[in-house]
Amino acid sequence: MNLNKKILISLLTFLVSTFSFSEELLLKNAKIHTATDKGTLENTDILIRDGIIVRIGKKIVSSRAEERDLSGKVISPGLIAPQTQLGIVEIELIPETRDDRSDIYSAGLSIDSAFNPSSTLIPYNLTGGITLSLTTPSSPGLFSGLTSVFSLSGSLEESLVSSNIALSASISGGEDSMAAKIQLLEDSLKLSSLVESKSYFDMHHESFLPDGVTYSARDLLALKSVANKEIPLVVRANRASDILTLIDFAKRNNINLIINGAEEGWRVSRQLAEAGIPVILQPIDNIPNSFNELGSRLDNASLLHKSGVKIIIGSHETHNAYLSRQGAGIAVSYGLPWEEALKGLTKNIADVFKLSKRGSIQPGYIADIVIWTGDPLEVTSFVEQVYLSGEPMPTKNRSMRLRERYISQ
Amino acid sequence: MKKLIFVVLIGTFSFLLLGSKENKVFESTYDPGNSGDIFIEDARILTGTGKEILKGSILISSNKIKAIGENLPKPDGVLTINANGKWVTPGIIDIHSHMGVYPAPGLRSSSDGNESTSPVTAHVWAEHSVWTQDPQMPLALKGGITTFHVLPGSANLIGGRGVTLKNIWSRTVQGMKFPDAPYTLKMACGENPKRVYGGRSSEPSTRMGNVAGYRKAWIRAQGYRNKLTEYESKSEEAKELGYAPTRDLELETLVGVLNGEILIQNHCYRGEEMAVMLDIAKEFNYKVTAFHHAIEAYKVADILAENNVCAAMWADWWGFKHEAFDMVWENAAIVDQANVGTGCAIIHSDSSVGIQRLNQEAAKAMAAGNRAGFNIPPSRAIQWISANPAKALGIAERTGSLEVGKMADVVVWDGNPFSVYTKTEKVFVDGILLYDKDNPLTPKATDFELGIISSEGDRL
Repeated sequence: MNLNKKILISLLTFLVSTFSFSEELLLKNAKIHTATDKGTLENTDILIRDGIIVRIGKKIVSSRAEERDLSGKVISPGLIAPQTQLGIVEIELIPETRDDRSDIYSAGLSIDSAFNPSSTLIPYNLTGGITLSLTTPSSPGLFSGLTSVFSLSGSLEESLVSSNIALSASISGGEDSMAAKIQLLEDSLKLSSLVESKSYFDMHHESFLPDGVTYSARDLLALKSVANKEIPLVVRANRASDILTLIDFAKRNNINLIINGAEEGWRVSRQLAEAGIPVILQPIDNIPNSFNELGSRLDNASLLHKSGVKIIIGSHETHNAYLSRQGAGIAVSYGLPWEEALKGLTKNIADVFKLSKRGSIQPGYIADIVIWTGDPLEVTSFVEQVYLSGEPMPTKNRSMRLRERYISQ
Repeated sequence: MKKLIFVVLIGTFSFLLLGSKENKVFESTYDPGNSGDIFIEDARILTGTGKEILKGSILISSNKIKAIGENLPKPDGVLTINANGKWVTPGIIDIHSHMGVYPAPGLRSSSDGNESTSPVTAHVWAEHSVWTQDPQMPLALKGGITTFHVLPGSANLIGGRGVTLKNIWSRTVQGMKFPDAPYTLKMACGENPKRVYGGRSSEPSTRMGNVAGYRKAWIRAQGYRNKLTEYESKSEEAKELGYAPTRDLELETLVGVLNGEILIQNHCYRGEEMAVMLDIAKEFNYKVTAFHHAIEAYKVADILAENNVCAAMWADWWGFKHEAFDMVWENAAIVDQANVGTGCAIIHSDSSVGIQRLNQEAAKAMAAGNRAGFNIPPSRAIQWISANPAKALGIAERTGSLEVGKMADVVVWDGNPFSVYTKTEKVFVDGILLYDKDNPLTPKATDFELGIISSEGDRL
């Protein structure tokens, strides 16, 4: 390609993007929770161009933008659901509607090809304020599989945002010793780092792993990307001593660790903060469901935050993944600052899982935003409209259709 | 002399028979102690009778509400609590709990809620499974729960008797039993019984098998009742010569339902199944008091209202099984407003997480209803978690609303109870202050919680 041609193409691209096809949306006079250090902005406008937030400020004027007055309304970033089975589970008790488990693969299970953008859970949670899901398999055993990020657009072709961004594991539950699970975590990582070398075969043949544990190449490659620090390892653990064990494990093996659950996290909050390990919490759950979470309590999120631990807020329930916002509200009532609770539903998830240009409202970021009737954490507030990349999404779901049929009778 | 002994024996036997009918076994020994006099002033009161008093007072005396209203004279020398304009509601009642029978931690050794060995187990009683030291109970108390109803699980068509408990620390279940509350009987529609028994290739494995199972049980109960009636109608002489029918624990409970003494609490998700259950009740002339988990109650709300049947619902749970697929957020509101506002809506938990904030669950259901065009104020929605569950448990004359003469089950909130940010400040059970946010020794820890994390402290 010669220089003239290059210049011509650049010029054409510039013209096309600037003058012909660019779409602008101007949302005016809203209360905007940015989920950045700028906090909440009253009576402010957002200008969106081609799905990207370009300006935030007072009295923005644009001659060609479609305008929408949002006086009295509230805007937040789209909520992100961490660790759900959105798109891979329809009805929990009906196995044939579930694509979240495998007996064949463990660490290497990537669920991208099974994700169903037409699942009824997707419009339901979209109308609850969720815009992105970190969809994660839930195979039983030590490793549950790989997390991928999907938008809740419902698009058959364009829902996948980012593939295989984290590996999930669980050391709670089951009857094997915690010690055995930690040893297996460590041995599996060690083996994976040798997967393409000659010594791997030596170790494999010498039964490096205990009887009954086998990995496919896919499993080992997934583990290897954890060992190489390409993706984080998300481990479900609740007991204070187990969390400390995992912190040591992460240091020893030089990996990125995220603790999921962390119900007794408040007891080791200093150590978590020092190690820079984020936690995924379900703050609504304070039940000592097992002897591994006897210290479960409602101010866990608040105590962890005070110690400097980065907090992510989720929900146990995939069907009601959007109720993470109620959990966030409860965490606030037990001392977590409101702005931090919102970051726990949005920005912190984007930061921890490296979701580029998502999770907060600032110029240059993708316009995944939610318009609320009021405080997004309040149980009596509702979503009025969700925008994904600046596009207005449907405001109805199957549940609303049912209600309309019977309420009009 | 021989005859006399015989008469005494028969007399004793009749007493046992009657005794079982009058629940003389496992009697309540509940004793909250005397509350003395307490005056709560400057409160914004949701009475549970459908009213709101913007600036009112409540006088508690000897465990009962002695006075309530605006401008009550403040008695001298009485312990006074100034609510400073904060909200006060009746004690919250959860009509669907498994605390004690599915306690925390959730261990196989104390998971005692489902006698899933036979599809009809009307002879089992939930109270005999209750572990009184379940740490979920004081958590619920902090959420304002003063009374809760413990049910057997839903594995069986007829699962056994439920029991109504006051949320007080006690060494014995008798010490928690709501005095003279009627017994209840758990029945279950739909997927659970047919999954449990169908999975073992035994009846029922279908919904039609379920219905046959209920009807067969009621036919047996009718037969037993006829035998009892026939025996009772005999002359004393004839009774002496014959034998009294052998007691049958299972059929005694079913006859209790037919006699209107035991209230049916029916786990049922689908609209058409609720309508079928109401026809079975007509066939055998008993009453369904409430449908529980009634996900599709909104589809049959008018039928429920006509039959004076309550629906106990979640605000938003759904999708965990097929019969829970058609959830709508407006379910409670539609039930409540059916037939010109004569419906009976209840928000229940079935969850040790949910039971801690039934106020928030009611708030979600109320807000959804109002968004759909209804006009349901907090004074009405509070009844979904107070007066209406009290009615469906047969204890509405005693608790569930703040009225003179009722038990002083009272909650003081630190804000509007229909908000995610609001917590309880004080919870009174029969006038006794069992939770006070300013007193770290409340709620009283269960035995389980002592020294369980650190040897010198309680759990939290």
